[in-house]
Amino acid sequence: MVTPSGCSGDDPVRSLTLRGSGASEADAAGLLGRSPAMIPGKYRSVSGRAASNVNCGLHLVIQTSSLPEKNKVEFKLNKETPSFPGRLLQHDLERNYSSRQGDHINLVSSSMPSFPILQRSSEEKILYSDRLTLERQKLTVCPVIDGEEHLRLLNFQHNFITRIQNISNLQRLIFLDLYDNQIEEISGLSTLRSLRVLLLGKNRIKKISNLENLKNLDVLDLHGNQITKIENVSHLCDLRVLNLARNLLSHVDNLNGLDSLTELNLRHNQITFVRDVDNLPCLQRLFLSFNNISTFESVCCLADSTSLSDITFDGNPIAQESWYKHTVLQNMMQLRQLDMKRVTEEERRMASVVAKKEEEKKRESQKQSLLKEKKRLTINNVARRWDLQQHRISNIAADQDGRDSDSPSQDPCQNAGSTVSAFQEETGSLDSGLTSALQGLSVTDTHLVEVDGDTLSLYGSGALECLDRNWSVQTAGMVTTVSFTFIEFDEIVQVLPKLKLKFPNSLHLKFKETNLVMLQQFNALAQLRRVDQLTVDPQGNPVVNFILWKYYVLFRLSHFSMQKINGTEVTQNDMIMAERLFGILAHVASSELPPYRLISVLGDARKKQFQCLLETKGRKPGIVSEENDNSKRLAGENTNRAALHYTTRDLYHEKLEEIKEKKKFCKMYIEDLVKEATEINMKNEALQKLWPQMFIELVRDAVIEVRNKNSYMKLCLQHITDQK
Amino acid sequence: MLSPERLALPDYEYLAQRHVLTYMEDAVCQLLENKEDISQYGIARFFTEYFNSVCQGTHILFREFSFIQATPHNRASFLRAFWRCFRTVGKNGDLLTMREYHCLLQLLCPDFPLELTQKAARIVLMDDAMDCLMSFSDFLFAFQIQFYYSEFLESVAAIYQDLLSGKNPNTVIVPTSSSGQHRQRPTLGEASVLEGVEASLFYQCLENLCDRHKYSCPPPALVKEVLSNVQRLTFYGFLVALSKHHGINQALGALPDKGDLMHDPAMDEALERLLVQIPGLVNSVTASPEASCLPSRTPPRVGSPWRPLHHARKLDAESDGSTEETDESET
Repeated sequence: MVTPSGCSGDDPVRSLTLRGSGASEADAAGLLGRSPAMIPGKYRSVSGRAASNVNCGLHLVIQTSSLPEKNKVEFKLNKETPSFPGRLLQHDLERNYSSRQGDHINLVSSSMPSFPILQRSSEEKILYSDRLTLERQKLTVCPVIDGEEHLRLLNFQHNFITRIQNISNLQRLIFLDLYDNQIEEISGLSTLRSLRVLLLGKNRIKKISNLENLKNLDVLDLHGNQITKIENVSHLCDLRVLNLARNLLSHVDNLNGLDSLTELNLRHNQITFVRDVDNLPCLQRLFLSFNNISTFESVCCLADSTSLSDITFDGNPIAQESWYKHTVLQNMMQLRQLDMKRVTEEERRMASVVAKKEEEKKRESQKQSLLKEKKRLTINNVARRWDLQQHRISNIAADQDGRDSDSPSQDPCQNAGSTVSAFQEETGSLDSGLTSALQGLSVTDTHLVEVDGDTLSLYGSGALECLDRNWSVQTAGMVTTVSFTFIEFDEIVQVLPKLKLKFPNSLHLKFKETNLVMLQQFNALAQLRRVDQLTVDPQGNPVVNFILWKYYVLFRLSHFSMQKINGTEVTQNDMIMAERLFGILAHVASSELPPYRLISVLGDARKKQFQCLLETKGRKPGIVSEENDNSKRLAGENTNRAALHYTTRDLYHEKLEEIKEKKKFCKMYIEDLVKEATEINMKNEALQKLWPQMFIELVRDAVIEVRNKNSYMKLCLQHITDQK
Repeated sequence: MLSPERLALPDYEYLAQRHVLTYMEDAVCQLLENKEDISQYGIARFFTEYFNSVCQGTHILFREFSFIQATPHNRASFLRAFWRCFRTVGKNGDLLTMREYHCLLQLLCPDFPLELTQKAARIVLMDDAMDCLMSFSDFLFAFQIQFYYSEFLESVAAIYQDLLSGKNPNTVIVPTSSSGQHRQRPTLGEASVLEGVEASLFYQCLENLCDRHKYSCPPPALVKEVLSNVQRLTFYGFLVALSKHHGINQALGALPDKGDLMHDPAMDEALERLLVQIPGLVNSVTASPEASCLPSRTPPRVGSPWRPLHHARKLDAESDGSTEETDESET
């Protein structure tokens, strides 16, 4: 059992526990420097006092030379064998470090030419029965070590050994240090089944191999070699520390099976991506400093590791990115240290805020693409319906289709309308927005409303309803282009007043597939406030095939002083031409239309302006023309054009019906009047015929009466007396 | 004051026949329509204006088709209004399609039926070339005949068909034209000597028709003149001849002679005044009256000139040679 004592939290020195092979548990300890940048390169193992440790196991005090006392780490090794005050050497795994004293060992050249034979004095053997240090002995080969079968620690640091050999008999070996030699291949270790710590740093190894039997390996240090690939380690289920720093690794994978690995050092390689780390259940520390990682995606498996608490990325391209810190923190919530700095709560919060934002952005873009697709589908659907409507194909299937899509379309349409177009009504949570958009995809919509920058696009007649909606002032003000597609022009005419009201800045009108067939339809546009540009797509608008249409538009909408028609600049010549062609029409309409018609033709708005004009006209017919002209100029729109107005076909038919009714009544009324008049006339004529004769008769009677003067006088007197 | 006819008919019938009732009815109708406005400036004034406008022929502007075609006077007024308003289009030398002319007609009468325009275009064009371009004068004169005499022409068409099929509507036995080729308008190649009907017989029938026809019809003397110099003719040949006959045009009285068609100084003067009013264009107005030219159409489809050639020649010979080919210059 290893008890790290006196190891303060700030101390980067870490403890290792090597489990013993026997009944007792741990019996060796190793130290691995965590960061050469922060920790002095050498740790010195300080020998314990032999006297106090004879039977109670090994008491190791390991001390970093430059650190104060509190950095001491003590290990107790319970051992059956008499323990010794060993000098457990630990060195910085990545650095050369200062020399130390070698043991007093006599290397006696044996009779054999190649292998020296090691001999130790029996005294020494008893003193350090289980350890042997052959440091800086200028060895080029491993000496034959005889009679030392109980050796547990063997140190060959700083020699020139090229090949591991002659140690296969040391089957109780736990600790083998071959740091700083010239070994090119891992070999000769197959019998060392008890080996826990194998230090092969600073050699010339190209390949990880021949470790098959070292099932108990706890620490494997291969730093400073020429390894290009992690391989043949999957059986090392007890391995807790693997150091592959300063190798030639280009990527990290094949980490399966390393179930106990807690620390993995991969500094100073050329790693571009990392995989399989999420298969290491115990990994706590991962050092990836000074590699070639440039995206978080290439190390994204780290996010799936639940045990990782300490990671370094410094010296990678990724660490330069602005999103680096918060991305890492957000994706690895379990992290306690990043690049040797403690992760604070504040940082975590920031990271999560930023990450949430990015998530939202991502969702938004996903939603956008969904909506785009939905838009495409909707437009297709609208186009199909339009075609059906236009060609009056009474296809039963199509009809069915149309009816089907009529009812359910209402909701998703509204939804699409609001999310695509007006940002002012955000639809609840993003998730629900997404799902509804997804549902929307399956529904065939009948119309589409879209606001894209300054353009309001309407597809399908149902889209006109959007003009009833409450648009935010900002959106409404921004829209300068309104485009109509797949909508009957007559239906558009009905909403023009609303358009004028809701989008006062709309200057550019676009019509496509709107069934513009007559020049008079353009009259309807005159009621708008301003139109700078007009684009009428020939598709579905036969009127564009007429050579006169452009001139008529210019003429009728001359009060807008339009800039462009169908993308072409309007020239002065165009204006003159338009006036030449249609000016007389306007003149006739204004000057020859009977006044009572003029009022009815002009809207209510103009009535007032004309009231006075008409009054003067009524009273003084002589000087009408001058005042007439004056008041005409007062009106904003060319009043002589106002008579040219457009009533949609439906309305016109209604009007005709109305007129018919009135006519019927008038006909009866006039008929009665005329009949009466003719009767009176007839009676009058009859009277006229009789009158001369009657008159003569009357005169004759009168003459006869007064012929006898006397009797007439008597008669008169009689009358007078009678009256009294 | 009292014409002989006035005495021949009862008052009511007389008024009806002279369309006085139509106008009285319409006046009341208009009064009803605009009663609020009119009541403000006097009913007497309204009636004065109304009947003045009827006299001037301006009462049909922008009215519904049923009213426009109600009386011969209305029709003539409409023809005249159309000519006056769109003379400039013709003056510009543009050739337009039937649909474009129809659009122009609809500017004056929103519910003008397409059928009538089509019929007029059929007089100018071959059946199978209905989307060809026509000159303004061709269309206008054909349209005049078709519009003004539309009921008469329908009867004529019926008579013509009867004659073609061998029946005599006046129970006069027709010895000819039982060839069985009932194509109204054979193409040039198929034109046989026996095409159409015999002119004299046709005239007999028409004279009869004119006598009993209650709608307006061209003066029989002029019809006789049209038909007198040819042996045979087709229905459309007859219509073409009618439309080109300046006597009929004069009798109708709505349009000027063909030569003067582009001449309307009063309106030109009004137009010049309007042009001056265009803001910012004062200087250039007089500078480029001829320079402005409409864009040419992409596929230049020019309509076939009048009839199959031999017809045209025949008819030209009959009608004192005043008629010319379609593209006569407007100057």
